[in-house]
Amino acid sequence: MALNICWLDDLAKAKEHARQTKKPILLDFFNPQ
Amino acid sequence: MGAVTYPNDKVVKFVDYNFVPVQIESSNTALMNQFKVTWTPAIFVLDADGNEIHHVVGFLAPEEFIPTFMVAKGKYYFNAEQHPEAQGMFEAALRDYPDSDAAAEAVYFMGVSRFKATHDPKNLRAAYETLTAKFPGSEWTKRAAPYRLIPE
Repeated sequence: MALNICWLDDLAKAKEHARQTKKPILLDFFNPQ
Repeated sequence: MGAVTYPNDKVVKFVDYNFVPVQIESSNTALMNQFKVTWTPAIFVLDADGNEIHHVVGFLAPEEFIPTFMVAKGKYYFNAEQHPEAQGMFEAALRDYPDSDAAAEAVYFMGVSRFKATHDPKNLRAAYETLTAKFPGSEWTKRAAPYRLIPE
């Protein structure tokens, strides 16, 4: 089974997770087209 | 990125282990403007307060993506004055991806991190010497040029 990155779609939630996990945020801006 | 790099198993494991990943569509003009993004892919590394640590514009293949963001994570620790952790990330990038475009930056920040941890300027001189020997054309070698004046 293929692995996938578990992307969040909300920067505020990512900041919360970053505080809890003490990890930096990887923020990817992408064009879906 | 979505077709080649992000589906790569090594990239998936690396990202999930080291980062909180968040993906924002370019239609989100508020965030695009906040981060002054005018072209994608644009990838930022932020601390938990949203402060930018590193950013890259344009495609990165898996073998460049991983060392690029190893160095970025090293800079995250470096900014937090967590020098053993920072040096661990720079060392890993140099050990696992010695020929990547990120390797010269890893050498540079390794030297600076060692200097900040020990206050011994010989670490800066050593970084300059490694850069001139291994990466003579790199911008990081030019940025380290003043360290050649530090006595051996």
